Amino acid sequence: MKKKIGIYICHCGGNISDYVDVEKVKKAVENDADIFLAKTTMFACGDTNQNEMVDDITNMKLNGVVVASCSPKLHLQTFRSVSERAGLNKYQYVHANIREQVSWPHSDDKLGATEKAIKQVKAAIAKARLAEPLEPMTITAQKAVAVIGAGVAGIKAALQLSDMGTQVYLIEREPFVGGRTAQWERIFTSNETGKEIISRLYKDILSRDNITVFTQAEVVDYSGSIGDFKLMVKVAPRFIREHCVEDNLQKAIDVCPVEVPDSFNFEINSRKAIYNHYPSEYPYLPVIDIQNCTRCGECEKVCKNIDFSQKEETLNLQVGSILMATGFDPYTPADNEYGYKHIDNVITLPQFKRLLALNDSKLMYNGKVIKNIAYIYCVGSRQVNGDNKYCSRYCCTSTIHAAIHAKEKFGNINNYHFNRGIRTYGKQELLYDESSRMGDIYLQFFEDGEPQIYKEGNKTIVKVKDVLTKYKELEVEADLVVLVTGMVPRKDNAIGSLLKLPRGRDKFFNEIHMKLRPVETVIDGVAISGACQGPKNVTESVNSALSAATKSFSIVSKGEIDLEPVIAIIDKDNCTWCGACAEACPYDAIQKTVDGDKSYAVLNSTVCKGCGMCLPVCPSDAIDLTAYSNHEIENMIDALL
Amino acid sequence: MARINPEFSKELKKYGGFDLNACYNCGNCTAVCSLSTSENSFPREMVRYSVLGLESEIETSLNPWLCYYCGDCSSTCPREADPGELMMSLRRWLTGKYDWTGLSGLIYRSLTASIIAFVVVAIGVIAFAYAQAFNLETILHIGHYFEMFAIGGVFAIILLPNIIHMWYLTILKPKTKVSLKTYIKSIGDLFVHMFTQKRTLGCDDNKTRWFEHFILVIGYLSLLFTTVFLDWFSAQNLFIILLGYVESAIVFTVTIIFVSGRIQKKKEVSQRSQPSDWFFVIGLLLMGLTAFIVRLFIDLNILDNNVWMYLFHLIILAQWALIIVPFGKWTHFLYRSFAMYFDKLKTLEGVYNE
Repeated sequence: MKKKIGIYICHCGGNISDYVDVEKVKKAVENDADIFLAKTTMFACGDTNQNEMVDDITNMKLNGVVVASCSPKLHLQTFRSVSERAGLNKYQYVHANIREQVSWPHSDDKLGATEKAIKQVKAAIAKARLAEPLEPMTITAQKAVAVIGAGVAGIKAALQLSDMGTQVYLIEREPFVGGRTAQWERIFTSNETGKEIISRLYKDILSRDNITVFTQAEVVDYSGSIGDFKLMVKVAPRFIREHCVEDNLQKAIDVCPVEVPDSFNFEINSRKAIYNHYPSEYPYLPVIDIQNCTRCGECEKVCKNIDFSQKEETLNLQVGSILMATGFDPYTPADNEYGYKHIDNVITLPQFKRLLALNDSKLMYNGKVIKNIAYIYCVGSRQVNGDNKYCSRYCCTSTIHAAIHAKEKFGNINNYHFNRGIRTYGKQELLYDESSRMGDIYLQFFEDGEPQIYKEGNKTIVKVKDVLTKYKELEVEADLVVLVTGMVPRKDNAIGSLLKLPRGRDKFFNEIHMKLRPVETVIDGVAISGACQGPKNVTESVNSALSAATKSFSIVSKGEIDLEPVIAIIDKDNCTWCGACAEACPYDAIQKTVDGDKSYAVLNSTVCKGCGMCLPVCPSDAIDLTAYSNHEIENMIDALL
Repeated sequence: MARINPEFSKELKKYGGFDLNACYNCGNCTAVCSLSTSENSFPREMVRYSVLGLESEIETSLNPWLCYYCGDCSSTCPREADPGELMMSLRRWLTGKYDWTGLSGLIYRSLTASIIAFVVVAIGVIAFAYAQAFNLETILHIGHYFEMFAIGGVFAIILLPNIIHMWYLTILKPKTKVSLKTYIKSIGDLFVHMFTQKRTLGCDDNKTRWFEHFILVIGYLSLLFTTVFLDWFSAQNLFIILLGYVESAIVFTVTIIFVSGRIQKKKEVSQRSQPSDWFFVIGLLLMGLTAFIVRLFIDLNILDNNVWMYLFHLIILAQWALIIVPFGKWTHFLYRSFAMYFDKLKTLEGVYNE
């Protein structure tokens, strides 16, 4: 079909026309082959011009359009939409940038600028001559979502997805659900306990028939892409068939001779090799920690349902999208950071919170009654020398909340907060106020004046030059020093590495755009939520989980997904499989295929993003890119030279 | 280095009504205080020391005495922590601290102790009168001598040692080196402040209060002089008699203004009255009034039949001289003046420039 191209050259108010002679550009191209229409316009993006373009395209039956204006970042989509409104395939629209690339950088050379603009427009025309109409690719999507991690974010996301009518696989690595939230006794600002929140949530899960929960389950392999991920999940056995009758379970726990540090309590006490953290914990069944079990057989004597013959299972799941909710680890202070592990009464905030939960009438640590508590803020966050430059967001409020809790629960307590400025943002400010009113003492330091902790006989002294007292050196005799540790990414990033999820400078999973695409990742079909993305409190985790659930649902809801048609095309006859393209591909979209004695590259078109990285590395020129074919690019280069 | 002591704020609480825990270090109080300079931060420094319980910093400081309680800080405080009242409470606490007998602190902390002291003195006076068979002449005579000995005794046994204690805490303990020349050169300041309360003029909107206070101080001191040294109640000289009338009238009329101010609570300064404040103004009021009436009764020749009137005056006088002057609010008069003097010494020796 004969090409009929329309061209619009924009003044951009004067941003372009002050330096580029737009009339001269128009004259230079209006008589070129296939040019059916050439116009200049004050504002190409203005409504008047857009309507004019629609009329021109419709009336003159144009099958190629070029607008020479600003950066395609700004208005490519605008003019593609104009084309679509006029019934023209949007891939037959070509954008020429004569503002950021011409008028602005060459404002000192008007003649040169005009000359360059002419070449840019001619190159765009060369591409428009060859531009073919393209249709989006449609693929089918599995109507199921895998949620990785059954903490508060994962469970809320699963419930939301279930509400919307999707099959959900909730995959938890630990033997019990609840994640970090289950570990907190009283949570700001509602004062519910983590246990209560988690219990309520999993009761809800049990009432659904479209959520399948796996505990002690880990994703070990995956393939496929958006719409159709195939996950291989390994489920470890619990070695217990069901609850022992007549409370023999407690006996089984009692007789177990093994004692290991209890990670649920952040190792301030120990547990047995057969255990659960609290009686009502889901899935209402204890577990045998086989790594530490000595197989002495004592538990089997008191409980008939213990079964060491249980084997690891492997499941294969097919899902349309994946929702990550793998959470965080609390920061572990470095050896001797503020005396950690060197001074006997220095603990971390998570340990302190467990201590509050485990003590009843008196607050005791190391056999000593605690009265004066010093809290050192920003340990492992806002580091000047370390890598963790970020603020962990939850810790100020959590500490103050715990300090109030300690006072209310145990009475005679003095709280001293050594802080770097209190960040109890939003409604959490009320807690700060409450603690001040209760007589908590706040001392402030800057990053260059960190508090010193040292022993004076058997007393522990915390010393600081207090900003609020004209840098006067003050000291507190503390019975307990609580290091307010922030959040760090999970130490074990196996799942992140498996999915090739990009991580930010802070090592948390990265979203595409912090503000506008806050739960999506560059891996299509994989959303992130909760604290695996960065420090969040429970409220914020749930917010992001609901958002990620909605995003994940939007992928699987229709049963099919439209994908951009701009992708690589591999000519298998020309390909000799050297592997260079597969190595260059950042999305793992190219695989080797063997057909008889011939090996060649095959593209997974649903994973390909059309970035073009594979093209220049191919020694046999066997790869081309739709809408940016070698032929098109060569023609553009010819026009430019 | 100073160790934080959270118990101190509980102790201080007994000296006045203010809310230390409300302070969130915004600094509005310092911004509005006319005494604040870049070296000396009023009243926030004292607020912070009180929150942290840095007793030795507070007891060596003169700052609480330099504040005349204009109330601007309290009315500006967004948290209603009442820093002005804190300064007042610190003055009471310091009075207790300076007093070697410990009675001052007891009277400030405990209303019961104060009432017991007042009752004991009253009973003592009545018992004395009973022992004299209510003979007016004897009572009058001994009453006059009592006044003289009380003034001398209280000054020598209580006030002088306390002033020396104050000097030790605020000058000697912080190791301020003051030359004898400076002591002599600045002595004028002591008396200027003692009799004029000049510094209060620096506080905003305080002109009327200063004037009333000035008149009261002059009236009170001259009445004291007239009764003790000119022996007003036995005087025959018309000038002395009239002088006494005028002075006592000034004392009770001005105190009525202060009392009604405390009752109406319109000004920030008069909003929070402690028992010690009431004892002070009411004592002063009754002293002026009863002295006036006693002399009136003498001139009308009816005192012989109304011995109770003089007894009442004597009870007030004894309570004043034995409780309020040595241990009560009266000492403010002395400590403030000396604080101004010591502050001048420190300024001249360049302590604040370091």
